Formats: sequence, structure tokens, C-alpha cells
Amino acid sequence: MSYADIALGLILLGLSAYLLFGGADFGAGLWHLVSRRRTDKDVIEHAMGPLWEANHVWLIFVMVLTWTAFPPIFADVTARHWVPLSLAALGIVGRGSAFVFSKAVPDRSRYRWVFGVSSVLTPYCLGAVAAAVATGEGSWLGAAGVYGGVLTTALCAYLAAVYLIWDARRLADDGAALRFRGYALLSGAAVGLFALPGAAALGVHSPLILLSAAAGLTSLVLIVRRAYLAVRVTGALAVVTVLWGAAEMAGLDLDAAAAHDAVLQVVFAALGVGALILVPSMTWLFVLFQRAAPKQRP
Amino acid sequence: MSTVALLADAVAAASPAAGPLADPGHGAASPADFMAARQQMAFTLGFHIVLASIGIGLPAITLLAEWRSLRTGDPVYAELARRWMKAAGVLFAVGAVSGTVLSFEMGTLWPGFMDKYGQVFGAAFALEGIAFFIEAIFMGIYLYGWDRLSPRAHFATGIPVVVAGLLSASFVLTVNSWMNQPRGFKLVDGKVTDVDPLAAMFNPATPVQAVHLILASLMVCGFIVASVYAVALLRDHRAGRVDRYHRLGFAIPFSLGAVCAPLQVVVGDWAIRFVHDNQPAKFAAMEGVEHTEAGVPFRFAFFEIPNALSLMLKFDAHATLRGMDAIPEDVRPPAEVVKTSFEIMIALGVALLALAAWWALAWWLRRRAAGRAGELGRRRDLPWKPWFLRTAALAGVAAAIAMEAGWTTTEVGRQPWIVYGVMRTEEAVNPNPGLRWGLYIVLAVYTVLAVATISVLRRMRRRPEPALPSGGDAPEPSAPTDEAPAEGTRSREVRSGR
Repeated sequence: MSYADIALGLILLGLSAYLLFGGADFGAGLWHLVSRRRTDKDVIEHAMGPLWEANHVWLIFVMVLTWTAFPPIFADVTARHWVPLSLAALGIVGRGSAFVFSKAVPDRSRYRWVFGVSSVLTPYCLGAVAAAVATGEGSWLGAAGVYGGVLTTALCAYLAAVYLIWDARRLADDGAALRFRGYALLSGAAVGLFALPGAAALGVHSPLILLSAAAGLTSLVLIVRRAYLAVRVTGALAVVTVLWGAAEMAGLDLDAAAAHDAVLQVVFAALGVGALILVPSMTWLFVLFQRAAPKQRP
Repeated sequence: MSTVALLADAVAAASPAAGPLADPGHGAASPADFMAARQQMAFTLGFHIVLASIGIGLPAITLLAEWRSLRTGDPVYAELARRWMKAAGVLFAVGAVSGTVLSFEMGTLWPGFMDKYGQVFGAAFALEGIAFFIEAIFMGIYLYGWDRLSPRAHFATGIPVVVAGLLSASFVLTVNSWMNQPRGFKLVDGKVTDVDPLAAMFNPATPVQAVHLILASLMVCGFIVASVYAVALLRDHRAGRVDRYHRLGFAIPFSLGAVCAPLQVVVGDWAIRFVHDNQPAKFAAMEGVEHTEAGVPFRFAFFEIPNALSLMLKFDAHATLRGMDAIPEDVRPPAEVVKTSFEIMIALGVALLALAAWWALAWWLRRRAAGRAGELGRRRDLPWKPWFLRTAALAGVAAAIAMEAGWTTTEVGRQPWIVYGVMRTEEAVNPNPGLRWGLYIVLAVYTVLAVATISVLRRMRRRPEPALPSGGDAPEPSAPTDEAPAEGTRSREVRSGR
């Protein structure tokens, strides 16, 4: 295995984490926009509150690793797709700042609206670019780009609904939990029906399709049977396999684009040491806020 | 933020003088798009730099207040810590997203730069990414952990935020330093080889630039926060009372700024000597040295001190200094912008130093008077307060302008190079058409963002903290921090009862 392969593996790992964590935050923003109920919005805000910034950093991780390990590919993709990527960046600005603003001054409804809209815009743009790169099609406005944008947004929404069922129950809001269960079933069925023909049309022949479909079906069963923790795993698997399938398709010439070994050695060493701090602290962050709401401090 | 806009304009207005546009032989970007890319980078970076400064400094002063509250059980410190923590949460988020925009712009605006040199300085960004990750994780724990952690553990989770913030700023600065002093690679037939990422990171400009910028960011944050409380104290003064909450809210951040101000003078001296030795064109532009000559005067705004510049730099009144005429015309930076922004930075820096000295003197006099007259000494400082406070209320804006001016000096002073002596800025720009439309949209979005951020902070300031835990239908049932009782409960007595 060459250094370039390791770098690619790390980039895929980061992208997967960004899709599974950051993507779910975007999906939560979509449900925030769609749902009329205050209690649903509360569950979403509570679930995202302490985590979204850390989840967002996966994107930075992926970008930095890409421009360090495969500079020509980074330059080519960003230069070619500067329009959707700039829109995504502005969407990230709108989403993040509107989210903290609406928490800081809850009586201003326009921030919630900006939060919801930019939560849809960002995954759409990123998904469109990903599909354009994977298929080698020139523009994000082409059929593959539009398909990728819609699919990514739908995947994020599905993931968010799956995660939020458990979050709502944790917050002892059974009404919201039932509604997110409904959203998860609906969006899961819809995204499955949308993804499979798309994969066929784009000529994907990867066994990952079967894995994704199986995980998706299992998830639907688990949701019906109310196994809300187990479905977090199968739902995530169903979504992340789509990303891996797209990566398989891309067929970029990585070895020619890879940075010098000396660079990658330093980066891997830094990440290795960094992981010693990052993994435990991130675990702590998630565990701390997944526990039931604290007793009020005396 | 309007100062940022003005400076961005200034940077942009200067660019035609840079000259490279006369030769559109490289990429296909039109002159208007090239200009727009530079303006957009200057504007978004200038915006982020203020937030990043606050992101470094505010957690530090918050921890200082929290530490005092843990030590003394004084509810005023606890209240300050809580308020600053909430403001830090908002500003950290805006800083994080505006920083993300910069990561995108590296590629969408300057793909030529990333394509060729991304791997040389990339490792520094990988380290920065790790530091930022740690910062974000602990920021989440710190912001939302008020209720879930013991007061001591809560304080401890703030420490990684401060340390990681300083580290991440330093790593980013190594990249800018590298653009000024590129090291750690060889060019063979135009191709980058023999990359040594550590040599790139620890290039000669790194120490001076990192220290200079971190001090500046602490000054910006300290003076900005202090100016908010200076205004409150002025109001107090008119009402004939001095609120202890306001006084401490002023004293902690102002002291931070005041301690950094004299240190910055020393580091600034180091910086100008470094520029003189390593970037003669930038130096000539900053000091307005047009001709190479002996016994160069120090020219500042409207006055001139004979031989002073030679004396200050070389400790020899008749030393010869290289002027702009020694620099080939096609690699000269736009001297007027560089000189003007340098002078703005110096003037404001000196003014802030004077203000810091005023504060130190008043503090010393008060201490002496208090020693002589006991409690009575506390009142002695009142007569000077309104004028001091009026000046201090402007210190935050002044520090931010000084920082932007300094940033403009070093960035415009490096032109026409994006990588000094190696790659010209116009070789790096994205050749795709339409970049100027991106600029217009970014300007609009950032204007709204700036207005919204300030308005949110003002509303947060006005909102009284709830005195008691709120009931079921509170507007923010999801925010655990809001359920914490506001005052006094974090004192030692209560904690020991947990």
C-alpha cells in the first residue's frame, strides 16, 4: 500500500465522518425548516447544540488533507467547481451563524429560516460537486450533478430523522420521537427508491449497492420494530456505502497527483499524535451529551 | 466592520499600481476578475482576523474570570465568566464558519498556488486542522458543560480551548510566513521537488510573525471587550455610581491589552528589522525610502527627522539603506498603500501604548493613595475617569484598525508575489470567468453577517440573566446553560453541598 493509498483512505474516512455527523446536522436543519412543531425544533436544536461545530471540522480535515496529499486534484476540482463550492461555503456561513444566533436570541424567527434554507443549500451543492467529480461530467448543473445534489440532501435528511428518534426519546418527548420515526420511514423509503435506479442509470456495478440496499431495508425493519439505537448503525451504513460507491466510480489518477512522501510522512505522524488526543476527547464530547439531561445544579 | 471594508477597498484600489495586470500572458482571468479575487480574499480574511482574535482572547479572559470566581466565590466574577462564555460561543461559531470560507477560497480563488505549493505548506494546515478540531470539541464541552461538569472540571475544559486556539493561530501564521520566506522545497525545471514540510513551517519569518500577530490579537480582544464596559462605566458615572460588575468587566480585558501593548512595541521593532533584512521592497515601501542613500531620515505622515531611520535600524546615523530605486520596477509593491497602512498601524499602536501607560499610572497612584488613606483612596481615581473612559471606549476600534492596517502592510507589501520571489499572484488566480460576481455576493452576505453578529451581541447584553431556573415553557428549554441559576450558586459553600 502506497502513501497515496493511505492518504486516500484517510480522506474517505473524513468524508464518511462528515457525511454521517455533519450531514446529519444539515438534515436536521431540513427537518427544522419543514416541521411546524416547536417541540420538534427543540429536539433538533438540543441534539445539534454542542456537537455541530466539531462535526463541521471533518470538512476542514478533508479539504486540508486533499490539498496537502493531492494538490493538483484539489486545485482542479475547486477551480472548475468554484461556483457551487462558493455557494456551499456561504451556506456553511449562513447555517452556522444563524444556528447560534437563534439560540442566543430565540425571539428572532428569521435566523431559524436562514438556518433551515442554508442547511438544504449546502449539502445540495456539495453533493452536486461530488457527483460531477465522480461521473466526470463537466458541470454541477448537468443531470448527474442535480441527481447527486438531491440524493445527498435526501440522504442527510434520512440520517437526521433516524438519529433524532433516539434524541427525542432521550429528551422524553415521545410525540416528537413518533414524528421523527414517521419522517425516517418516509424518507428512508423515498431515498432508497431514488438511489437504486440512479445507480443503475449511472452504470454503477459495485457490490456496495447490494450492501447499501440491504442496510437500508434492515433499517426500515428496525425502525418499525423500534430498535432505535441499532438503526443508527444500519442507517449510517446504508448512507455511507453510497459515498464509497461514488468514490469507486471517480477513478482519479491519484499516484500521479500525490504529494512527496516526506510531506505525507509528516502529515501521518501529526494525525497519529493528534488522534491520541482527538479520539478520547471526541468520545467524551459525544458521551457527555448523549446521557440523559442533567439534574439541575443545586 | 466598516473599517475592514474600507481597508479592503484600499487594498483593492492599490492593486492597479502593482503592475502585473499589464501583462495578461498568464492564465485567462480578466483583470476585473483578478482584482475581484484579491478584494474577496482581503475582505474575507480581514473579517475573519477580527473574529479569530476574539476567538483567541475571549476564552482566555473568560477563564481568568472563572478562575477568580472559583478562588473567591465572588458571584460577580461568575456572572462575567458566564456572559463572556456565551459571547465567546457566538463569536467562535462565526469565526469557525468565516474561517471555512477561507479554506474554500484557497482553491476557488487561488488554484494555481494550491496546485503547485499545496503540498509544501499543507502539513502546517494539517496541524492547524488538528488544533482547530481540539478547540471545537472542547468549546462544545465548555459551552454546554456548565451543568454537567463540576465547576473545577468545567474550568479545566476551557484550558484546551485557549491552548489549541493559540496553536492553531500559530500554524496558520507559519503558512503566511512561508509566503513571505518560502523554504523547504526546490524548483527543478519549474517542478517542486525535495519538499521538506518542517523547513517550510519553521521558515525564518515564522517566529516574528506568529508572536506579532498573537500579541495583536490579544490586544484587539482585550481592548474591544474593555470598550464595551467603558461605555457602561461612562453611563454609571453619569448616574453617580460605579457598578462593580462593570468595573471588573473593564479591568480584566483592559489589563490584558495594556500588558501586551508595550511588548508589541518590542516585537514590532524585531519585525521591521526582519523585513529590512529579508524583504527590501516591502521595507522601502513601508518606510517610504525612495532612493538608496546614506543617513536616511525617518519620514512619518507630515514630519521628517533627519538621519533617524538609519540610526534606528543600524545604530549609525550615516548608514546607507536600500530604497525603492534598487528594486526592479516589475516587482515593486504599491508603495503608497503600504506606507499609509503602516503609518496607521504605528500611530494607533502608539496611542494604545499611551492609553496603557495612563492606566498603569492611574493604577499605581491609586495603590499609593489607598496605602496612605485606606478605603478613601478608592475614590481618588474618579476625577480622571470620564476622559479616560471616553478614550478607552475607542480603544477597541483602534486596535482592530491597527491590526487590519498591519495586515494590509504585510500583504500588500509582498505584492506582486503570492509566494515571495517565486510565484506571482496573477499566476495563482482561478482562470475561470465570473469571479467578480462571487465577490459581490460575498460582500452582501458578509455585510448582513456583520450587522447580525453585532445586533445579536447587543441583544444578548440587554437580556437579563434569569435569576431562577426557568419552568417548562421557557423559550430555550433545549439550552442547558440557561437552566443554571445565575448568581452565587457557584460559590464554594454551595459546591461543597453537591
